[in-house]
Amino acid sequence: MSHRLPASEGEVLDRTKTLPFTWNGKKLEGFEGDTITSALMANGHHIISRSMKYHRRRGALTADYWDPNTTVQVGDEPNVRASHRKLEAGMQVSAQNVWPSLTFDIKAANRLVGRFLTAGFYYKTFMKPAALWPTYEHVLARFAPGGEVDLDTPHGRYDKRFAHPDVVVAGGGPAGLSAAIAAAEAGASVMLVEHEHRVGGHLLWGTEQDRARAAELAAAARTAGVEILTNATVTGRYEDNWVAISERSHPGVIERLIKARAKTLIVAAGTIERPYVFEGNDLPGVMTSGAVRRLITMYGVKPGTQAVVFSANESGDAAIDDLRRAGVSIARVVDALTGERIVSATGSKSRVKEVLLDDGAKITCDLLVTAVGWTTPTSLLNMAGDRPVYDANAARFFPAGAPDNVLATGGMIGDGALDDLLEHGRSTGELAAGRAAVVRHRLQAATARAEAVNGPEPAYPPDERVPLDRWPHPELFRAVTHGIVDYSEDVSSKDLYSAAAEGFDSVELIKRFTTATMGPSQGKLETVNTVAVLAQAKGDSIADVGTTVWRPPYAPISLGALAGRINEPTRRSVIQPWHEANGATPILAGQWVRPDHYGDPAAEVRNCRENVGIIDVTPLGKLDLQGPDVPKLLSLLYTNKWMQLPIGGVRYGIMCAEDGVVLDDGVTARLGEEHYLMTTTSSGAARIWSWIEMWLQTERPEWRVHVTPLTTGLTSINIAGPNARALLGRLTDIDLDNDAFPYMQVRQGTIAGVDGCIAWRIGFTGELSYEIHVPSGHGLAIWERLLADGDDLGVKPFGLEAQRIMRLEKGHFIVGQDTDGLSKAPVTGLDSLLRLDKDDWAGMPEVRWSLESRDHPVLVACQPDDGTVVPEEAAQILRSGTNEIVGRITSSRMSPTLERSICLAQVDRAFADAGTSLEILLVDGRRITATVNEHHAHFDPEGERLRG
Amino acid sequence: MASSVSHLDPMPKVSIRAADDTVAAQALGLAFGSAEQRDDTLVVRIRPDEWILLGTGALALAAELDLSGYASTVDITHARHVIRVTGTHAADTLAKLCSADFDEAMTPNGAAWGNSIAGVTCDIVRDDHGGERSYLLLFDGSFVAYFLGVLEDAAGEFSSDS
Repeated sequence: MSHRLPASEGEVLDRTKTLPFTWNGKKLEGFEGDTITSALMANGHHIISRSMKYHRRRGALTADYWDPNTTVQVGDEPNVRASHRKLEAGMQVSAQNVWPSLTFDIKAANRLVGRFLTAGFYYKTFMKPAALWPTYEHVLARFAPGGEVDLDTPHGRYDKRFAHPDVVVAGGGPAGLSAAIAAAEAGASVMLVEHEHRVGGHLLWGTEQDRARAAELAAAARTAGVEILTNATVTGRYEDNWVAISERSHPGVIERLIKARAKTLIVAAGTIERPYVFEGNDLPGVMTSGAVRRLITMYGVKPGTQAVVFSANESGDAAIDDLRRAGVSIARVVDALTGERIVSATGSKSRVKEVLLDDGAKITCDLLVTAVGWTTPTSLLNMAGDRPVYDANAARFFPAGAPDNVLATGGMIGDGALDDLLEHGRSTGELAAGRAAVVRHRLQAATARAEAVNGPEPAYPPDERVPLDRWPHPELFRAVTHGIVDYSEDVSSKDLYSAAAEGFDSVELIKRFTTATMGPSQGKLETVNTVAVLAQAKGDSIADVGTTVWRPPYAPISLGALAGRINEPTRRSVIQPWHEANGATPILAGQWVRPDHYGDPAAEVRNCRENVGIIDVTPLGKLDLQGPDVPKLLSLLYTNKWMQLPIGGVRYGIMCAEDGVVLDDGVTARLGEEHYLMTTTSSGAARIWSWIEMWLQTERPEWRVHVTPLTTGLTSINIAGPNARALLGRLTDIDLDNDAFPYMQVRQGTIAGVDGCIAWRIGFTGELSYEIHVPSGHGLAIWERLLADGDDLGVKPFGLEAQRIMRLEKGHFIVGQDTDGLSKAPVTGLDSLLRLDKDDWAGMPEVRWSLESRDHPVLVACQPDDGTVVPEEAAQILRSGTNEIVGRITSSRMSPTLERSICLAQVDRAFADAGTSLEILLVDGRRITATVNEHHAHFDPEGERLRG
Repeated sequence: MASSVSHLDPMPKVSIRAADDTVAAQALGLAFGSAEQRDDTLVVRIRPDEWILLGTGALALAAELDLSGYASTVDITHARHVIRVTGTHAADTLAKLCSADFDEAMTPNGAAWGNSIAGVTCDIVRDDHGGERSYLLLFDGSFVAYFLGVLEDAAGEFSSDS
């Protein structure tokens, strides 16, 4: 560690813990507490990356979270911020996007054609010949910046958390800490978020007294009960102070997203030191004053041996002191306040070598430090609606006004001695707590479940804070030469001039054309310089040019953190474990895990047609309806008539949305005088419950109907096949005789000794079938009884696939499969159910119009003329000999019963008549013909089997 | 105990729907959003016109109600399952999965409300035991395998007292 300074007060290193790591394969060592960058620099490695486009050598610029020049690959993780990421033992760190090596990078040849790679070149090149685009694309992809993603990397563990603090403080510098302490001491719950690894802000690399003050503040915050999150960033502020926080320091997870609903947000993001634009400003060894101060004081790194310091403020002066303390020779102080300026810098292969001043002097050095002013990171305030205003006297933008529940403090809004900043922070914290208390009172008063509020609502505190001063600062943005403005995107001031000359002369346009400010630091280092250069190019003022609009995220957030834990709810019937234990292949149908088949769906179909099968249809939506106005509700929801349904009766119905599109279908039974049981499609249960409640709560509140979902409460089993009656008859006291219990009827009774069971004489398979609904606690036992007691009847379970085959044989359509989001009810062809003689029903006007216009497609059954070919579902149906699409296959299967392929299809009306020949385009490009059936049912169109 | 998740044994549960002016509503009482233990039954007024009775006495209590007027009952014993989350970090566990504010003032002991937890619609009852934070989660039983897994995963962070 050749560039490591002796241990000193203020460093954050634990020199008793040495951490081995590798850099581009070379073994190195650092200390616990090092960042990757500080460890590399301590070992004499000053070139850490190559720039994105021109592959220029780059070294640390700011040596903090925002450093654009120190992005590296760590193991299989690309794009790691080396100036922020803590060093860990065994890390394999490498430069990214270089070939063959960081020191000899052939991609740097881009510089030779640099004049063709100006900003926006990609909008103008690679256009012709068009046929070469795939080649261009292939080559360009090899030049894509960033690290390498290993697709085999296991998905890491991310997490999420909700929070409802009274006050969120974004920024853990002195003002933020002071605000947090004051708010907590005023009784508020406070969450303080600091994106660096420790709180204290600039005090951490300040004087001994500064550091002691930082420690006192941190201790006081903990004592006050402030929840302190370090290595965490407030990435966005949304409506009603919904604040997104990315926390990278939570144990056990890579990153955690905290969704905080802050009653008051305090933004105390401080200021960010601005780089200076000049020729050679991206050479390794050119750094901000803050960078050298952090490296020396916190990390014990000697950043160079001979320095030129270009200073316009006290930070530059402090850097000079620190450099001297570290044994760095000061070759020249260029005092900006007296009008001295630097012009350009030149470098060797490894770093800056010489600085040219405007008086013509050439100073030899290996370190050039700039202290030219500050940028106010107002992003979070902008997200709350604030638009910053430029103050030429202070040479930076300031917030102009945010909502009452968003307050700013600290360097963002002015300057002052430490005590001034602390006092402003304190008064901001008290104000935030007072305003949060009002919000809390209102929330509590408006929430039924909350504790009763204690006393009247507190008065809303006015903002009576004493504003901070704004210290004058020279406007220093660019030298007389051109240099890099956006280090991440390799955009120079010359690029900005060119773009402005091309007409991209608004800050929003130039941002998009050149990509300046769109890199990983999201404009924190670049925006103001971009604005200043554009103002120069246009001859405008900075105030007139204004800034771009800052949007979330404040800093990049990983996709993993946004995804969080992958929680996708799944549902299972009580019989599902049995299915899987007995060889069923599970399939996810909506949220339900169901048995697709037990090995041979065709055999399951044949057994059902010849003997008897049972299927678990628990996912079928079931809604208990009670009340005197249920018939009115059913008449409103369904297209057919319901006012006269007798007790014990069952009726099928179609529901439409108000645009006439088929919403759902199912059967509803009348169990008692004012008691009904509605069934819906499996995936439609929640939607229909919500649909019903919408009607009852908003449109017909006077109707007396209670709706209770019972989907899971009743295990549903369909018993289908010629032996269904015999099988069920062995377990129930319900009279199953065809006259006593005919088709489309419902009965209640005992099954396998269990009271409260319901049996429906309905079916989806076209066979004689009973659908039994039994209390779920008994579902598995009854399923097993059916199998045991029906063994001699040939009973076997069947799965979803067999059911779908049989329903297709029978011509029953499935909502969402054979209909889509445009299919109005007349598409189904069930015109007799569309009763226009009722007073009203949901969707009736649209359906009436559709029926009258007769221009809708029609659902038909068809059979390929070659019965061995099964057209793919969604295959197009074409007008013969043309490419004109006249329909599509909606369902298709090979029928085990008919031993041929069968289909349902939606076709234009002109192709819907029985006997019409259809031309179907298969996925492989072949065209086959099919013939439209007379009925939807391919099998038993008269329904003799199900009524038998 | 930091945070424990337990799937409670099946118990009778009844949903009562009753308009304000009914005898049943008067008999059940309670403020909307609150719960109260009455002998062996937890009575929860989960929505303005809906009570859930939970416990061994639920069916008997429901059977005693005068359902004249606009009132009805549905036995939801088999439809809903109950999970209890208990411990000093019970609220922290739920806060990983649920957007509700678990602050003492917003959801005191006895509070009841509906919320989504990890995508599952739940009725939540703050039901402290022996001075320890505890929440009952009533939900559609078909989610139980998924839901238990998610809750145990969330509670894992608080597996030891801290």
